[in-house]
Amino acid sequence: MSYRKAFIVSNALVLAAFVWAFAKDFYAPWRPYQAKYYQMAADELDKQAAAEKDEKKSADLKVAAKKMRRSPMEIKQIISVDLGRFDRCVTCHVGMDEYTNTTLKNNFTEHPYKAHPKVDTALIKAHPFNKFGCTSCHSGQGLATTVEAAHGWVKHWEKPMLKGVTIQGSCVKCHDNFETLKGAEVAAQGKKLFNKHGCQGCHAINGKGGVVSVELGDIADKPFERIAGYNFKKVRIDGKELPNEHHDSHWNLQNWIRAHIVNDPAVVTPNDPFAHYNSEPIPPSGMPDFTKEIGKDEAEAIVAYLSGLTKEEIIPYRYHVTAPPAKEPQLSGAANGKRVYEKYGCQGCHGLEAKQGRRRFNAAGDGQKEYDEKMPEAEQLEQMNLGAEPTLPKLVGTYTKDELIHKIEAGVPAADAKKWSPKGPMPMVYMPAWKGKISKQELEDLATWLISIGVKDDSGF
Amino acid sequence: MSDTNPNPAPDSTPQSPAAPVAAAPAKPAAPAKPISRGDFLWAGWSMLAAFFAASAAAGARFMFPNVIYEPSQKFNAGQASGYDLGVSTKWLNEQRVWIVRTPSGFYAMWARCTHLGCTPNWWGDQNRFKCPCHGSNYTLDGDVIAGPAPMPLWRTKVELAPTGDLIVDKAVLENKPGKREHAPYFANYASA
Amino acid sequence: MPTLDIEKIKKEVIDSQLWRSVFRGGVWKDTPRDRAGHIIGNVWLHLHPVKVRPRALEWLYTWGMGGISFALYLILTLTGVALMFYYRPTIGLAYRDIKDLEFAVTLGMFLRNAHRWAAQAMVVAVIAHMVRVFLTGAYKKPREFNWGIGVLLLTLTLFLSFTGYLLPWDQLAIWAVTVGTNMAGATPVLGNEGPLGSLVGMRINNDVRFTLLGGTMVGENTLLRFYVMHCVAVPLVVGILLILHFWRIRKDSFSAAPYVANEEKVDVWPHLVKREYIAAAATVLFIMVWSILQNAPLEAIANPNVTTNPSKAPWYFVGLQELLVYFDPWIAGVVMPGLIIVGLIAIPYIDTNPKGVGYYAWKERPFANTLFMLGVVMWFALIYIGYALRGPNYAWYWPWESWFMVKPAPPPTWSVFGPKGEGAYSMLIGIPLMGAVTAAWMLLPKLIQKELDGKKTMGAFLGALAVVAGIGMAMGKMGPIEGAFLLFFTGASFYYGFVLPQRHIRTLDWPRYLVTMVLVVSTMSVLLKMCARLAFNIKYVLTIPSISMNF
Repeated sequence: MSYRKAFIVSNALVLAAFVWAFAKDFYAPWRPYQAKYYQMAADELDKQAAAEKDEKKSADLKVAAKKMRRSPMEIKQIISVDLGRFDRCVTCHVGMDEYTNTTLKNNFTEHPYKAHPKVDTALIKAHPFNKFGCTSCHSGQGLATTVEAAHGWVKHWEKPMLKGVTIQGSCVKCHDNFETLKGAEVAAQGKKLFNKHGCQGCHAINGKGGVVSVELGDIADKPFERIAGYNFKKVRIDGKELPNEHHDSHWNLQNWIRAHIVNDPAVVTPNDPFAHYNSEPIPPSGMPDFTKEIGKDEAEAIVAYLSGLTKEEIIPYRYHVTAPPAKEPQLSGAANGKRVYEKYGCQGCHGLEAKQGRRRFNAAGDGQKEYDEKMPEAEQLEQMNLGAEPTLPKLVGTYTKDELIHKIEAGVPAADAKKWSPKGPMPMVYMPAWKGKISKQELEDLATWLISIGVKDDSGF
Repeated sequence: MSDTNPNPAPDSTPQSPAAPVAAAPAKPAAPAKPISRGDFLWAGWSMLAAFFAASAAAGARFMFPNVIYEPSQKFNAGQASGYDLGVSTKWLNEQRVWIVRTPSGFYAMWARCTHLGCTPNWWGDQNRFKCPCHGSNYTLDGDVIAGPAPMPLWRTKVELAPTGDLIVDKAVLENKPGKREHAPYFANYASA
Repeated sequence: MPTLDIEKIKKEVIDSQLWRSVFRGGVWKDTPRDRAGHIIGNVWLHLHPVKVRPRALEWLYTWGMGGISFALYLILTLTGVALMFYYRPTIGLAYRDIKDLEFAVTLGMFLRNAHRWAAQAMVVAVIAHMVRVFLTGAYKKPREFNWGIGVLLLTLTLFLSFTGYLLPWDQLAIWAVTVGTNMAGATPVLGNEGPLGSLVGMRINNDVRFTLLGGTMVGENTLLRFYVMHCVAVPLVVGILLILHFWRIRKDSFSAAPYVANEEKVDVWPHLVKREYIAAAATVLFIMVWSILQNAPLEAIANPNVTTNPSKAPWYFVGLQELLVYFDPWIAGVVMPGLIIVGLIAIPYIDTNPKGVGYYAWKERPFANTLFMLGVVMWFALIYIGYALRGPNYAWYWPWESWFMVKPAPPPTWSVFGPKGEGAYSMLIGIPLMGAVTAAWMLLPKLIQKELDGKKTMGAFLGALAVVAGIGMAMGKMGPIEGAFLLFFTGASFYYGFVLPQRHIRTLDWPRYLVTMVLVVSTMSVLLKMCARLAFNIKYVLTIPSISMNF
């Protein structure tokens, strides 16, 4: 090609590339949504104008329709300086923009055109958009203006939009009184379930609870880098693997928390019980399998509650709602003992109402086969999974009340557990020392209750 | 040029208007030793060079900030005598360090697993730290026994103040065996 | 409608006082005088000569990489200035501003992409330019100084890339810069972690790393300093050096092609200028299309409490990071790069071969070409390993292995010579032994006066090595893979480090010979250490912990 020709061709191509770049930037994904909204809203106004009998009102509506049809295309923002929110959601969700849709209500039924639900309720009225932004409650990537990026289910954005009832986790962030708050019922239920199933026995929240596993008081801040990818690959939500493509990433914190409840944690975090990669065996996650005990909706409630436990988000003083002090019910004796059992999360290891001890990997338990070195690994794994915590009713018969109190105060080290496979790993959980954490009176009542539910031995011991 | 006539009297007589010069003390005939052109230029350039050198040095000094806005990572861990032998989790929640007392003194370890950053738990009965996230195990010294952690736990700077308090500085860290057992990562404190 | 005489109007405009005051020249005719006038009368073009040697025009000779590098530099300056209107260098706002550029600024994403891709392309172009100049011997007398300026420009290009990398303030930025500046902290004497540094009183708050970061860790001050260096200080220095570089090219007759009697020079206007134009247009087009099709990456916001795993430097530095596996930071991060830069600058002064100037001479410059290209290949091989073959915890992952696969802990390493408890053998043997081996290696090629037969020498050496490997395998000390590593790496080191110098540079005078051998031996030490570490798990050949010097 001659240089003369190359001159024309290269100049033409550069110009074409510029047009292409500009077009790509100009025809941003949000424009069609905004344009369509203006058309739809203008059509509505025209329809109202036609149906309106009063001449003047009809003319006014026609003018409003014309103005709506000609509205400028722009990136719209809701800014909350106090909370540091600069949310561009209303660029597409124009129905939620108070300057375009002054009543904040419309008849449209589909996203992104439909208006925000429940704008007449006390809940929404207490949280005006121009004060709170959108992402304070809904989470997501407010700065973005494309669909997937804005909703935040993309790689490298760690606070995606909260789906369904998990949004109530956002209430927990500011409202210390969420347990009695109207509108935060699911989060309140989540906290109740957290206590009912004994999670706080191993997972302390702000120092209250057991120290066997991870402190959850700031779990909503957990950086994604702390979760190993090879564990995420094992998560199954609704039976399906989670995608992790750049524009469709579901490897996020909510799903990780969810996985602990709707999957067996020992399957998600199997570690290395046969020492294939390490100098000694490492047991899988010590967390019991709650999949049969906690249903799907209950799991969502717990996820909602935990999603609100953050320490990184700075809530300004005026936005923080304190709670009245919690009142402990006045019980005594065995009834109080049962309450103490549930208060400190003993059912996390020893089962609901102490009926049966939960899984304790590689502990000697009932119903296990005899340990045989030559057993294939898969079978060994199965047997190790049958190891369990002590079932208290069977145990308490052999203790006096004082011995029981002493045992609870001192705790039981992991090394004291009898292992099923001597070569296998040390169990991951142990009984913490509760001395100083449970008051004397509570211990008395707890021991009373435990003895009362003990199985009476035939021997009359 | 001929010298002007030295005239002792300051006011000259009007008889000789050709010499209106006021009286002045005798000037020397010539300067004692004129500075050579080479020396003069050398002096001038070297002063400029000195200016450049001084500016460069000042510029280098300029680049070292005198104040920085990194919040101090020091904290007072209380009286050394108040600690029992072994691992103390007193400051674990607030400062994320364990205080370890041995018969010969104290060291403090940053409670951050070197794998992905979770907080390990101290299992006193097994004499090791175990991380609940992926099962890394560390000895009392911080060395990795098992698990995916790639390196030992970090020890912080710890020193004994004259008042008997332990001052821990988390900004200064060390985890190499051979270095971490000595000052400033270890504070001598003999047990009675 | 009266017909418009375009030509007449054009002539009137161009001959008017207004036009002539700005452009001078008037209407150009295609005469030699006016072709010269285009060049002489234009400030941007008058750096060119009026006529140029025809060799300077050949694409296959010049590759055009110098001009393309400059075109990329201009693209970077323009896009960079544009980006500066929407970017604030504070940790509270930097990431948010990048997000704004991506989503809310007209052409913001495109400009950001163009800036990043042009930066990557410029690093490649500058290295390609250096390789071309080397292979055509265009650094030899009298062009040594210009080559040195070019090496400085290469270093500054990499530094510009490094400082720019921090500005988005995402996880990649903060940790790549942490790795890079920790290497600075390992500088001998000037760094707090380098050998002898603590003896001179260097601590984390007064060493060279402190002044680079403006603090003890990568934070607010670092962002501001890197911003100023990236946008103002270094571009100014690069500009000054570029002026010098271009002026020297002009003064050295624009092309190093060998002298041809009665050579017919060619008019720069249009012949050179049109080629430069096409190259620039092609570069702009390439960057534009790339920027439309691919977005520059942006990870999560920088979090000093969370380290990414693995944490890697940008690709052009990841070769040095890979070197960190084999050498301590002060060697891998300071001494080696320093030797590379100083070594490159020294090349024109140690190369006394008059052949190969201005043309590709493969047979006439065996030593120069072989060793230089070996260095280039090793540099890119290390980059490839560091980039693609190192996964979480910096463990070795083959390309087909997913980074989610769990890998066993690496086997324990050992040191050969060191104090008791640290090395397998005493350092009292090690230090003199290493010294003797190094001295022998450095001096023998020149002392052996007769030219060795390459094939025979290599054959003998490999044979001896095979025997050693065989004995080792028989004793159970190593397997066949280790034996293969031993043969390959040590054989290569012997060939490039002993046989080639012996055959080709033993006739150099002692100063030049020694400088060359220092560079050659250092390069071979990388190969040998890689073999030692990868095959035999040797951490240090010699370790002297008391002064923090480990080899």
